[in-house]
Amino acid sequence: MADVTNTAAPTMANAGKPIARYEARQKVTGGKIYGDDLAVPGKPAHGWLVTSAIAKGTITAIDDSAAKAVPGVLMIMTHENRPPLQPMKTFSTGGIGLTSQEPLGGPEIAHDGQIVALIVAETFEAAREAGRKLDISYNEGRPATTFGSPGVVRKTTKEVVGRGGGPTLGDVEAALAGSTHVVEAEYSTPVQHHNTIEMFTTTAFWEGDRLTLHEPSQFVWGAKVGLAKQLGIDPDNVHYVSPFVGGAFGAKAAIGHRTPLVALAAKQLGRPVKLVPTRDQCFTIAGYRQETKSKVRLGCDAEGRLTGYSHELDEFTSLLDPYHNGGLENSAAMYAFKAVGGDMFLSRGDRNVPVFMRSPPEVPVIYALESAMNELAEKAGMDPVAFRKLNDTRVNPVNGAPYTSRSLNECFDEAAASFGWSRRTPAPRSMRDGDWLIGWGCSMATYPTSMTPATARVTLNANGGAKVEVAAHDVGTGAYTIIGQTVGERLGIDPRRIIVQCGDSDLPPGPVSGGSVTTASVTSAVAKACDQLLAKMSASGPMSDEDRRAAFDRIGSNALIEYAEWTPAGMDPKQAKTLYEGGVPFAGGAGEDRTMFAFGAEMVEVRINERTREIRVPRMTGAFAAGHIMNPRTAHSQYLGGMIWGMGSALLEATEMDRLRGRYVNDNIAEYLVATNADIPQVDIIMVPEQDDEINVLGVKGIGELANVGTAAAITDAVYHATGVRIRDLPVRIEQLLV
Amino acid sequence: MADDIKKAGPDRRSVLKGSALAGGVGAMLATNVRAAQDGEPRAAAAVSRIPVSLSVNGQTRDVSVDTRATLLDTLRHDFELTGTKKGCDHGQCGACTVHIDGERKLSCLTLAATVEGADIVTIEGLAKGDALHPMQQAFIDHDAFQCGYCTPGQIMSAVALVKEGHTGSDAEIREYMSGNLCRCAAYPNIVAAVKQAAPQMGDA
Repeated sequence: MADVTNTAAPTMANAGKPIARYEARQKVTGGKIYGDDLAVPGKPAHGWLVTSAIAKGTITAIDDSAAKAVPGVLMIMTHENRPPLQPMKTFSTGGIGLTSQEPLGGPEIAHDGQIVALIVAETFEAAREAGRKLDISYNEGRPATTFGSPGVVRKTTKEVVGRGGGPTLGDVEAALAGSTHVVEAEYSTPVQHHNTIEMFTTTAFWEGDRLTLHEPSQFVWGAKVGLAKQLGIDPDNVHYVSPFVGGAFGAKAAIGHRTPLVALAAKQLGRPVKLVPTRDQCFTIAGYRQETKSKVRLGCDAEGRLTGYSHELDEFTSLLDPYHNGGLENSAAMYAFKAVGGDMFLSRGDRNVPVFMRSPPEVPVIYALESAMNELAEKAGMDPVAFRKLNDTRVNPVNGAPYTSRSLNECFDEAAASFGWSRRTPAPRSMRDGDWLIGWGCSMATYPTSMTPATARVTLNANGGAKVEVAAHDVGTGAYTIIGQTVGERLGIDPRRIIVQCGDSDLPPGPVSGGSVTTASVTSAVAKACDQLLAKMSASGPMSDEDRRAAFDRIGSNALIEYAEWTPAGMDPKQAKTLYEGGVPFAGGAGEDRTMFAFGAEMVEVRINERTREIRVPRMTGAFAAGHIMNPRTAHSQYLGGMIWGMGSALLEATEMDRLRGRYVNDNIAEYLVATNADIPQVDIIMVPEQDDEINVLGVKGIGELANVGTAAAITDAVYHATGVRIRDLPVRIEQLLV
Repeated sequence: MADDIKKAGPDRRSVLKGSALAGGVGAMLATNVRAAQDGEPRAAAAVSRIPVSLSVNGQTRDVSVDTRATLLDTLRHDFELTGTKKGCDHGQCGACTVHIDGERKLSCLTLAATVEGADIVTIEGLAKGDALHPMQQAFIDHDAFQCGYCTPGQIMSAVALVKEGHTGSDAEIREYMSGNLCRCAAYPNIVAAVKQAAPQMGDA
């Protein structure tokens, strides 16, 4: 096991250099770096998906005569003629599948937009025409759509999946009964879709027995091994190529139905097949954030000290597979609660299977907790910032495990000073500017620091050039950049002389780009490989050009290659092998011995027009502390984008459903509202210095999923502060304010 | 969902068919003129692919395009210019923005057959050799992207916006950049990049 305390670099500054992204030039010149851009051997055929027009029922007939007659059509694959496939385990059960449901496995329809045919033709236009001409008849059933729909059954999460009772501490009922102030409230969050601008494209081609996939992926090794199992072939014969990903946010880790189908089509046709689904299909052929309800009871004593915290979390999920997020073990660690209770429940319906979406459990759970914190502060007559600072904790109250570092109070101080929080007058409707009611609200942001095993191979040349190879993924996070920086800082060479290779399953395996694990895990492995190189050169730190040349002369070689495996502290080092098997074990967050989280404080101003109730967010401030910041430039963008996501989550984003027919209604990127440039006047990001020598080699915490947590609670509290109206169901829309 | 309901009457599909036909007719006229010049009469009614001459990034190429093919798919499939991105194919996201005769246009809503003879510029045509366009450099300087997928469209819009004279204020830049969605939400950095590049652009 890596001894993280001994390998930490104590002299390292709190932040690395803010250099531009490794791939910046390619991204501004239209470089061929995304899956569907990559060249293929020979002229590709083009695919088109046909997806079900009903949410529940069976296909009774398929008439493909008109579709077949379209000139250029090469193949129509349906459940009637699909070549064999092996079963696929879901991500939650140790596999890589979005669902255990078989692709084109039969005539049964289990959700809206299920793939019912893959058409391949010489051109995209011909495939599309044939798709529209494929005549499918259905026997339509009545779907169970969402919470409250007929046919939906609610069970505890534990009953459904065998675990997930929620954390307990002391007697929460007694603690609440003995409290001076208690808030009891229900909060809800809607269905949301990732809506990455790059859609779920897949290109497949075979060269002999070897299959190559060009597909945006957050986990190329997992995909390679999982897809090989599904196709019944040797994983060494699957090559997953995904140099850069056009946005992921959790949507591109699990394998859905399209991937094996395109691979089968390419095999059958003996030529490359390219698939670019439509935007509306992207709502149903991949996952989404499921709707949740939270019933929170939170109490404090007369001085404002928290007493009991009870949280009942309801998540909706699919009848196909019970994907769920949970998350109460994290929220229970947040403050100095005296008692904790609650439970988790799953309701299931005829829906596609949900999946992780940026800060999966934290977005709903911390929204509910932080909203209740704001409401309780008001009841106790306290400023919400002072209230949180009073209830800060240095340990997880549930098990006493100490935080490796926690700078929440410092974040609140920095945010408050920058935002001008002291000028807030607490009474609702007490601040205005002409017709505009002004509201200020705040929230904590948090995300667990998780780590996984990782590997890396570093090649160093005598002339100071280097190459680092690891199948990590850059979904816009800056992974290439900070991996290169790690090598540069560790070995003392110019980052511009370092070639970084990621996103390819022929490279040594890295973890899934999920759970914000990449920076902490991969840089730890890269640093370890660098340290092995230094040891070979009898050096203990970054080397001068002179010393390096001398070392190479001594060794009598012009290049050195080192491969390293790293596992997080407390994890069996043998777990690194799991990466080669397509798996990825996680450690961190609310652990048994240590509690590892990044924190932030967010403050927002909303302006609500008193006549029209139009809601604007003229400014937001976020102060974040997440250990060593590898690159302040890319980190700034992560925080910025995160807070804007949080704003969108509060005011814009929701996938609407036809409750009767179980279908998504606004399944396009104009009616599914995401933030536009005009929605975002000002976002101020503050990076609060924090040093954590205990957490991993470089002292870093993941930040990609930090800033969008809690924002919605800040905004709903600001809406209350402006109007006196408490909105607990997201997103907040004008109609809810017309009271 | 909007696309897969069959037999739903005069919906967007028939509208699309109509526009495809209209585009086809315009292009066919041009084709017939040229065919007549070549002395090769053609049966226009049977044409589903037609030859067009497209000027992209200063180079003119003759290609045979499906009358239904969008400029976006033609750029990506026939010209192998994949910098122009498909984010929705419905004119909603702006990722496919190119310049046609100096104006920003959505290539996913433009049929290739309708732009014969037009001056088409894509993200690949913006730099002069190794020298980046000031807007490209500004996007790097301000980290005005994360995943980068919307970036070609953002940059093409940004260049056009400056030429349109919409840099009067931050609010005006934001408004006129709002046809280009960025899911990573680099918006404030995009505004900063536009402000840096605008005074440097000259005739670029």
